[in-house]
Amino acid sequence: MTAWVSVTDRGFTVGRGAGLQAMIDPRCLEGTPVAGATATVCVAASATQALRFDEPEVQQARRDFMEHRATFLGEDLVCVTTLALDESRCAGAITVTRGPVTGRDDPFARLFPPRAFSTDAFCVVAPPAGPVVERYVGVPWPGGRFPPHPQVRLEP
Amino acid sequence: MSGAPHAGEAFPDLDLPDHTGRPRTLSELAAGDPLLLLFSRGWWCPKEQRHLRELSRLQDEMEVAYSRMVVVSTDPPEVQSAFRAGLGARYTFLSDSERRWLTHLDLLEETDTQHRPYRPTAFTLQPDLTVHRRYDGYWYWGRPSVEDVRRDLREISEIVREDFRR
Repeated sequence: MTAWVSVTDRGFTVGRGAGLQAMIDPRCLEGTPVAGATATVCVAASATQALRFDEPEVQQARRDFMEHRATFLGEDLVCVTTLALDESRCAGAITVTRGPVTGRDDPFARLFPPRAFSTDAFCVVAPPAGPVVERYVGVPWPGGRFPPHPQVRLEP
Repeated sequence: MSGAPHAGEAFPDLDLPDHTGRPRTLSELAAGDPLLLLFSRGWWCPKEQRHLRELSRLQDEMEVAYSRMVVVSTDPPEVQSAFRAGLGARYTFLSDSERRWLTHLDLLEETDTQHRPYRPTAFTLQPDLTVHRRYDGYWYWGRPSVEDVRRDLREISEIVREDFRR
């Protein structure tokens, strides 16, 4: 399953619409939505300004999120997802938190300017166990996992 | 005799709060990847500080090699957060401050009656939490080295990744 958001100067909408369209980790929309959350949206002004996921600054932003940001947010963190234009280009990230949170400390704000919006669209997705940053190509971080091996029991 | 499993046996699906206080399970943290699971005395132990600093060198490799790392100690989450930040760690710490799993696994460090911590023990686990190799680290040289972990994760990946050899 692929989930999309569309970002304009005025805000963002879930699904494909006007503005910059990007894929997000679909798990962020699959559970019970958290009402009154804040979405810190760090997004490129246009698709041409997107960065490659392999660029060191994108990799480091994800590492810093795991090392610092997710820890400091604690239970206030609802979910996080990068914004993927395609299999290789990153157009930013959305970090969803409970209550108002400044975007100044968001590592993805080093990539693209942060803007904060109130949202009721996203659900809780726990951050991944470290130190993984790489998953499937084209699957916005931190989403994606390998299918279970036939001999591997994943669900007890 | 320890109640913790040995190679080939299933490791229990630990349910503990992580370093942020968020409830987690071991199977959720493994998420389909090979897993290095470390039971640690705590932040105050110089051997633990040295060993975790050594294993943290593997982070950059593990994060691109689809492998996970989890540390369990009896430190409360806020202490683990500070220790983790000091290590520059991006992996998850689980807090068993109530010593619930410590008792179940029979991994009490009996020589330290002050802290009542875990006896240093490490496991490399398959994604389904089957123990691949166990390391009894009461003596420092019993703990897994970077080379041990790299070998184990290669062996596990070969088992669980169907396309490992082409």
